Amino acid sequence: MKEKIRIFLDTDLLEKYLIGTTTTEESLQVERYIAMYPEVNKTYDELQESLEKFAKLHAIKTPEGLKERIIARMHGERIGRKKFFRYAIAASFAAVIFAGASFFFWNQSQNLQQENAVVSIQIEDLQKSMTQQMEDMRNQFIVLNNPRTRKYNVNGNIKAKELKAVAYINPVKKLSYINVSKLPNLPEDQCFQMWAEVNGKMVNLGIIEEAQDKDKLMALPYGENAISYITIEPKGGNQSPTIENKVADFKY
Amino acid sequence: MSTLLEKHIVELLLERNEKAISLLYEYYGDTLYGVAHKVVRNDELAQDVLQESFVKIWKKSDSYDASKAKLFTWLFRITRNTAIDKLRSVNTKTDKEIQMDVSDVYNIGVDSIRPEFMDVSENLGKIEDKYQIVLEALFFQGMTQQEASDELDIPLGTIKSRLKIGLRELRKIYGTSMVVTFILSLIL
Repeated sequence: MKEKIRIFLDTDLLEKYLIGTTTTEESLQVERYIAMYPEVNKTYDELQESLEKFAKLHAIKTPEGLKERIIARMHGERIGRKKFFRYAIAASFAAVIFAGASFFFWNQSQNLQQENAVVSIQIEDLQKSMTQQMEDMRNQFIVLNNPRTRKYNVNGNIKAKELKAVAYINPVKKLSYINVSKLPNLPEDQCFQMWAEVNGKMVNLGIIEEAQDKDKLMALPYGENAISYITIEPKGGNQSPTIENKVADFKY
Repeated sequence: MSTLLEKHIVELLLERNEKAISLLYEYYGDTLYGVAHKVVRNDELAQDVLQESFVKIWKKSDSYDASKAKLFTWLFRITRNTAIDKLRSVNTKTDKEIQMDVSDVYNIGVDSIRPEFMDVSENLGKIEDKYQIVLEALFFQGMTQQEASDELDIPLGTIKSRLKIGLRELRKIYGTSMVVTFILSLIL
């Protein structure tokens, strides 16, 4: 054991440890020896004392004002740290605000995109409807202005004497229209419905509403030897015409 | 020795009380300045080293372990390492020497002991130069005994015996400053 300690003390490791030049591993080894062997511990303590004494023998008076500079620098470091924290807090706030703003604008952008899509669809619908109406108008114009167009006055039968309508048929362009100008009043639970029998098939042309459809040309499906009817049907319209309630018909 | 004072300063350090630095400077400032000067051999650099060392001491105060080292030993290690780092950075900056060798850092010899800096020179005078040189190689230059033997061209055995005597002589000295420190520590 004595030999082991002697070898250790001979290595200078303790001296290196004393002045702080040992590696982490060496330090651990030295600390183990100091803890385990009182002799090493004593030598270490003596070396510490000697180091302090020897260093004190080489003391040099510090220059005037150095202490104040050191204290000031320490304050500077601490203020620096405070400043850092202040900046860090400010940066955090800025980040939060930025995140909030980003979300707000993102949200707004999403809403605008949705609105944009809706408006686009509306415009498309409008365009389609416009094209349809233009086409309709063009056909009406063609029919009304064509010399080959025949005009039929349609009058109601006994059940609807007041009914007056004008039909325009153009066999060349194969277009036909009807304008219902006057309808007799009906009880609340009844309505006028229009039909056309074209090529043996009965086609439902829908309910005629006087207020809305007055002075408006309704397109009729064209066909050779077609017959158009107006019947009185229960409110809301019917699937097939009730022939007994026929109020007007015309062939074309 | 100054255990009470040490304890007091350590407590203040742990409390993050700035008075600790003030006290450290009062009691160890000159000594640590001497240590720094031994390494960098330049007034301005030594002052820089002392400043940086005190900042490190203040920052690292919670890493001090009284069971592992005396307060002065800890202060000495920080100051000496700071001084060596400073010297290396200065030498790298000036491109004088990129590769530093410990033996290049120091200039060993009696002429390296500058009496004008020694306010305790009377005590130092009590130790013969040949012992001082060995002590200096050991404590300041950080040489191993073998390195000192090679550097000073003195047989290893002689180095060992001179070191032993040097340390013994050193133990005999009780500097007046230490007595004052001791008394002050009792008052505090």
